[in-house]
Amino acid sequence: MSQATELAAAAGSTDPRVGLRAVLALRRLLERLEVVQVDNARRQGWSWQEIADALEVSRQAVHKKHAGRPAVPGNREA
Amino acid sequence: MFERFTDRARVVVHRAIEEARVEGRRPVGTEHLLLALLADGDALAGRVLADAGAVNADLRARIARHTRSGVSGLGEADAAALREIGIDLTAIVARIEESFGPDALREAAPAPRRRWGLRRHDGGRFSPRAKKVLELSLREALRLRHRHIGTEHILLGLLREGSGLGALVLTEAGLHLDDLRRRVETAVRAAA
Repeated sequence: MSQATELAAAAGSTDPRVGLRAVLALRRLLERLEVVQVDNARRQGWSWQEIADALEVSRQAVHKKHAGRPAVPGNREA
Repeated sequence: MFERFTDRARVVVHRAIEEARVEGRRPVGTEHLLLALLADGDALAGRVLADAGAVNADLRARIARHTRSGVSGLGEADAAALREIGIDLTAIVARIEESFGPDALREAAPAPRRRWGLRRHDGGRFSPRAKKVLELSLREALRLRHRHIGTEHILLGLLREGSGLGALVLTEAGLHLDDLRRRVETAVRAAA
């Protein structure tokens, strides 16, 4: 195996399976990070509109995705 | 289908639903039914399981090993795939936990994508195997000519289904499903 192909195998594989698997893992990570950050924003009193603006999506989209979860405990006055 | 369930059997079903809810895994699985059966040590199923050597904490740990997906909530295969493109998942987990506390990422389970026509809060849905266990519990009751469905019938259903996570951890713990079935039937006859 040449040095170039070794490098390709190690870093950015051209095998679609490897690349797509990384995309899937990244999406799973992204979904979790979004939950953590949206909950944090809500705890700090951010409105759905503010969160939507920060994520560059519509308010409806962010509300539909996250409003169904039980309210996060925090220091926000209810 | 729960009309014939005894109070104890109903409690088992409710407890299984609760176990699944706490775990954040939506459908109730055979493992949740097993944990619920183990929880009632006075009921027939709980007694038989304990007598056969089933230890609640041990089985719970075994179930966790099968279902747990690490501190990140992602599996080892995900971590490896991310490494492949230069992302160190443990570093991300460390940062998030630093800010938001232990298990912050693991507990941040995204809601499963909803399909049209499904109710939004459908807590208490059962996995196909768990459903099968409950159906088989009815069949076991009929076979034994019992008019009610008790914890013992749920356990018999779980053993008869035989291939869910509940049955798997029992086998792993060194219990034999056939032996358990015989024990239940003996206990049923003794109680009759």
